[in-house]
Amino acid sequence: MTDDRDKTGEGGVPLEPFPTHRPESPFPPLYESLPAQTPADPPSDWIQSADAHDLPTRENRLAALGRFAFPPAPPLDDEGVAARDMRWTSRTLVIATAFLLVFNAVSPLNWSHQQAPGWVSETVEKVSEAWVGQLALLGVDMPRQGLRDAWFAAKDARFVGQDPAPPRADTL
Amino acid sequence: MLFPTLAFGVFFLFVYFTTWSLDRENGRRKLFLLLASWFFYAQWDWRFVGLLILSAVLNWGVAALIARRMERDGPEARRAWLVGLGVAVNLIILGFFKYYGFFVEQAGDLLARFGWERDLPLLQIVLPVGISFFTFQGISYVVDVHRGKTPPAKSLLDVMLLMSFFPHLVAGPIVRASDLLPQFERAPRLTREMATHGLLLICWGLFKKTVIASELSVNLVDPVFFDPSAHSAIDIAAAVYGYAVQIYCDFSAYSDMAIGIAALLGYSFPRNFDQPYRANSMQSFWRRWHISLSSWLRDYLYVPLGGGRKGLVSSCINVFITMVLGGLWHGAAWTFLAWGALHGGVQVVERLARAAFGDRKVLPTVLGVLITFHIVCLGWILFRAETFELAMAMLAGLGRVGPVTMLTPLLLTLIVGGLAMHWLPPRAIEGVAERLKTAPSITLGLLIGIAILLVEAVRPEGVAPFIYFQF
Repeated sequence: MTDDRDKTGEGGVPLEPFPTHRPESPFPPLYESLPAQTPADPPSDWIQSADAHDLPTRENRLAALGRFAFPPAPPLDDEGVAARDMRWTSRTLVIATAFLLVFNAVSPLNWSHQQAPGWVSETVEKVSEAWVGQLALLGVDMPRQGLRDAWFAAKDARFVGQDPAPPRADTL
Repeated sequence: MLFPTLAFGVFFLFVYFTTWSLDRENGRRKLFLLLASWFFYAQWDWRFVGLLILSAVLNWGVAALIARRMERDGPEARRAWLVGLGVAVNLIILGFFKYYGFFVEQAGDLLARFGWERDLPLLQIVLPVGISFFTFQGISYVVDVHRGKTPPAKSLLDVMLLMSFFPHLVAGPIVRASDLLPQFERAPRLTREMATHGLLLICWGLFKKTVIASELSVNLVDPVFFDPSAHSAIDIAAAVYGYAVQIYCDFSAYSDMAIGIAALLGYSFPRNFDQPYRANSMQSFWRRWHISLSSWLRDYLYVPLGGGRKGLVSSCINVFITMVLGGLWHGAAWTFLAWGALHGGVQVVERLARAAFGDRKVLPTVLGVLITFHIVCLGWILFRAETFELAMAMLAGLGRVGPVTMLTPLLLTLIVGGLAMHWLPPRAIEGVAERLKTAPSITLGLLIGIAILLVEAVRPEGVAPFIYFQF
């Protein structure tokens, strides 16, 4: 939008950051200077509404070669979709398990402490102790311990006038 | 083997990967799931795996006989005695393990009152976990085949898996043959929707059980119900509200995890809870609480009794009987009968009020919700207390002035949070799953890992069994 003077071609001050239309050119139209034998563009009904971004761009040759060498797979049938979704779910489970093995490594150790003595529980206990110890050196037990401390602090909170919470032994 | 334990996590991962590796062979897949289910059940008591097999064989045999007779003599063939036999066999199994001791004890007391004391044969019978659930499933299978609602299973394997499938085996939901048998007939498919929804339900269930229910149970409900005379009115009221939240979070957590685990194995279970404390009437409550049981009671007890077909009085009597027997299903004790009678009585009053006032709204919704919730809480006192004396002591304690010793800010937050979750959007988890299903597996895997880590970090050591295991 410009002020009134712009409408009359007097070069008004733009009211918006960018002018919304170009002033008329004082020069004759460009096509008049072109040779007459130059063929005109074929008539088109889509180019009028097209945006520059819609125009085809030149494809990367390597990508074109890649598409030729490795053509895209045909669309998946139901069985293919199911297999893909199953792989996705399995990956999700594996990632979650791996995450917990690192950040919640103390869980197998706690489990082994709750079992009756035996070969399995003792083996799990020893392996877990070594694993927990190594991870503690890296500090990956800190998020869990931080959450646990915050939780116990919330548990120990009391209303005004109540007796304070009894002291508790530290737990993993 | 409880769901929220490391042992079950390892078991489930093994079952998940093995099951899907047998994807192309449905028969082997089902056989593996059956063996896994028996292994799961044997963790409580391996001897009762035999009972599970016996029950499945009996139900399969009776249903096959019914189907054969229908095929031979047409749908009008007389087969009522066969259905009666099937139902009776299931009820005898349930009655022997669950009610024998109770009825013998009551009979002994009754005889003693008439001065005819006898040493009746009391047996120390161990209650098989989940017996109420799998016998009800057996009954529904036989009756549905008789009614022609579901065709008989194509193999004994299917019936065995229907009754033994480990996600619903010990505490429901009561999945009917018409829901599960068609799913067993073809190899299941796992979709992203099912997987995401299942994983979210498992995480949500873990949180409800191990954080809310366990914390309220250990630090508030159990100590107050153990000795109500030692606590003030505020503590007792908090324990009653706490138990309302605890039992919801405990049981709905089990159902959520069962539905989630089944979904990850490719099977769909029906919804079992739908924000029950939002109910503005007792009828609405039973459409939201333990839906698989209430619909079972409706189809196999209320409707055969006559339902509402014979007029208002008859329907009131039928609903009362149904609720009393529903109370007895929960356990062999007078307190459970009283609990059922309370729910049945209130439903009778509601029916009479509806008959008198029609569909006119007598109470504002908020008032209806508050009244219903407090009647439900009154019922929970009967449900939780071992004896009437204890229940009366809880009620008497509601008038006692004294210091607040049990209720803490955290417990209050958990009670309020447990009630507030009923006002979340009704299908919130489905909505979140819909958004997350397009996420890369690494994103969802990390989110699930973080969610479980949060729960693991705050949970108490060890997990109490689910309340509904005893039923």
